[in-house]
Amino acid sequence: MVTPVIELSRIEKEYPGVKPLDRVDFAVRPGEIHALLGENGAGKSTLIRVMGGAIKPNGGSMTYLGKPVSWQSPKQARAAGIHVIHQELALFPELSVAENILVDAQPRNGLGLISSRARHARAAEILAQLGVRISTHAKIDELPLADQQMVEIAKALVGEVRLLVLDEPTAVISGHEVDLLFDNMRRLKREGVGIVYVSHRLEEIFEIADRVTILKDGQVAGTGPVGDLTRDEMITKMVGRRLEQIYPARRKAPAVGPDILKVSNLRSGHRVRDVSFAVRPGEVVGIAGMVGSGRTEVAEVIFGTRDLDGGTIEFDGKRLDRRMPREAIRNGVGFLTENRKDEGLFLGLPISANVMAPDLAGVTKRGLIDRRGERDIALEQIRNFAVAAPSPEVKVGNLSGGNQQKVLFGRWSRIARKLLILDEPTRGVDIGAKVEIYRIVRNLAEQGVGILMISSELPEIIGLSDRIFVMSQGHVAGEIDGASATEEAIMDLAVRSIDRREGTAARLEQVA
Amino acid sequence: MSAVVAEFRRNRLSLSYVIVVALLILLVVAGGFLSDRFLTWRNFGNLFQQLVVLGMVSLGQTFVVLLGGIDLAVGSLVSASTVFIAHFLEWRPDLLWLALPLALIAATAIGALNGLLTIVLRVHPLIVTLGMSSIIFGGTLMYNKEPGGSVPRGLADFSYAKLWGIPVTAIVLVAIFALAGLWLQRSRSGRSIYFVGGDREAARLNGLPVNRIVVMAYALSGLCAGLAAIFLTARTGVGDPRIGAALTLQSITPVVVGGTVLAGGRGGVLGTLLGVLLVTMLNNLLNFLNVSSYYQWVIQGLIIIIAVSIHTTKRRQ
Repeated sequence: MVTPVIELSRIEKEYPGVKPLDRVDFAVRPGEIHALLGENGAGKSTLIRVMGGAIKPNGGSMTYLGKPVSWQSPKQARAAGIHVIHQELALFPELSVAENILVDAQPRNGLGLISSRARHARAAEILAQLGVRISTHAKIDELPLADQQMVEIAKALVGEVRLLVLDEPTAVISGHEVDLLFDNMRRLKREGVGIVYVSHRLEEIFEIADRVTILKDGQVAGTGPVGDLTRDEMITKMVGRRLEQIYPARRKAPAVGPDILKVSNLRSGHRVRDVSFAVRPGEVVGIAGMVGSGRTEVAEVIFGTRDLDGGTIEFDGKRLDRRMPREAIRNGVGFLTENRKDEGLFLGLPISANVMAPDLAGVTKRGLIDRRGERDIALEQIRNFAVAAPSPEVKVGNLSGGNQQKVLFGRWSRIARKLLILDEPTRGVDIGAKVEIYRIVRNLAEQGVGILMISSELPEIIGLSDRIFVMSQGHVAGEIDGASATEEAIMDLAVRSIDRREGTAARLEQVA
Repeated sequence: MSAVVAEFRRNRLSLSYVIVVALLILLVVAGGFLSDRFLTWRNFGNLFQQLVVLGMVSLGQTFVVLLGGIDLAVGSLVSASTVFIAHFLEWRPDLLWLALPLALIAATAIGALNGLLTIVLRVHPLIVTLGMSSIIFGGTLMYNKEPGGSVPRGLADFSYAKLWGIPVTAIVLVAIFALAGLWLQRSRSGRSIYFVGGDREAARLNGLPVNRIVVMAYALSGLCAGLAAIFLTARTGVGDPRIGAALTLQSITPVVVGGTVLAGGRGGVLGTLLGVLLVTMLNNLLNFLNVSSYYQWVIQGLIIIIAVSIHTTKRRQ
């Protein structure tokens, strides 16, 4: 039996109210590529951060190269040979490739000064090892993402590396870039480096990984050689839970009517490549897909906060002249963003001002804001959405996450006469508030509002949606009827990669 | 006036105001003990006359700071406006009705240009207005190096006129503050300043015309600098290319002492008015006590640091 590079035993991590890791066993052998699978929020990131020393576990033990360790800092783990490459690259965009690669180990000359020549020579040597051709003088932000990622990997090779952790490295690259990455992973593997590989794309796991561990709600749901598990078994283990009885029943079928929103062949940046779908009045349309599949970007394009590179958007059968939030709001479209703290709410202002922000005209009489009218509307919304607040004067920053979300519903439900876009409407709110939010969504739909709901929580998507579109890599990978949808069916579409070389061509056959 | 009262009532528990008001009371009481000339009707008349210029500039600064910006061009703008007014009026004293609106329009336009530049160039307002300040200052000196010009009798009289023993200029100032308070609290555009200052991205997402609001706030700051210049020229009778230099930094003190947050989105004009009162009264008292102006600067510096640190500590709780 070979000594594992790293071995975690019964690792636990607990925050108030949540337990992202619950007695997790995990081991990586030298020269092994070990895939880590799980839904969003299953505990993958936490596990990675424990290995890399960024988080200290509350319980369990860890051995590294056969010796018990307890990292005090990421720096200590790195010095010992563990390199973690996060999804968000940790590079200095304004500095050169060479400076970035040798950021921790700037070579010095006889006078103790940093030697530029030695730096470029050393950086070039490492890049040559990786088989990539990148100028060591280029600035990071001049490079394509795939090259930036290679620079990040090159950083790992400066010192001795025994364990390399890659967190969804293929989320931002495609085609031959993925091949190059895999070639390098195989080369490091031959040198005896242990590699942890996180990805949502099951095809990739079968192509590159030796073993797989599946996390589910902070626990290990399964582990073993990749060949021992079928694709469907992996998906079942990732999903593995029953639909809870927290979703309000559809009391009536959505009205049959013309589309309230119709998008065709939407393109924007590299995240939205070809998206078409429609929403009818009174219908809840769910958008599922992994983080990074382009879901949020689609919502932003529709609302007008992101550039449209191609395709058409029609509200109520007509295209808007100017694409900006103001126009969308005027046309009865509301948008609850994913990140309510950063993008939706004015934390320093009272509930009343937050509710009325997009509709000051609605309470203006003879040029002045009607304080009483504003207060009345705010009070009404506080009651409608059961916001736990003593008065409309309370600053929104003092409310809990769930109540902040309800204030946003209070705001946008007044605006969204036609369409309400929800991006992760229940993220970070407790279960009680979740149930209330589901009820609100269903009620709004029954009043005839079209709902477009993006969510990472599959039970939520299935429990609420009349129809579900599954996105993958900027495309709509398929449409599923809400009543007959299963988590397995959604995951199946979400993890199916659009063929890397063929691009859109392979898509149609998958939908069929 | 009612708006100021309303604002005060809404914030009656706000510690920001309590602190400033407490300091004011302390100052009045201490002043009464320390100097027999301080607590006199006549001194308060002078005091109100003195605070008019600083009050006006600080009001403009309040709009910009509420927005999360800063206007470092106000001092130069005041100087330039006094030079313009005094020389125009020396040339044609009969065209007072034209000179003053022209000065206000020009000052407003320069303010608007500041706002526009922060948006178009995406340069921090600190830099834009600092550069603009230098340009205005240099431009004024090209035209006129020494104080000069004159004002007609009527304007000078206005500066010293009293109504029931209160300087008319002070009454005008309070009226303008009341109007500004009403506008900030009750108009769509005024309210929007809080939205944009509180969170620019959120404001955009709520469909507010963010760029227009930014330009408007800077334009108002320019307008206020123009008004301050009118008060100042009326009092001094000349246009002086250096007279406003110290006003830039002085105008920030009452704003932040009055509880308006430099990051934007919080505060109001009542705090600024109280802040102006505090600063002016303090300097007035120190004058009576024959404290040299060097110490006055030091004390003013201490006040700004202490007051703001109290505000932030309170907010963190």
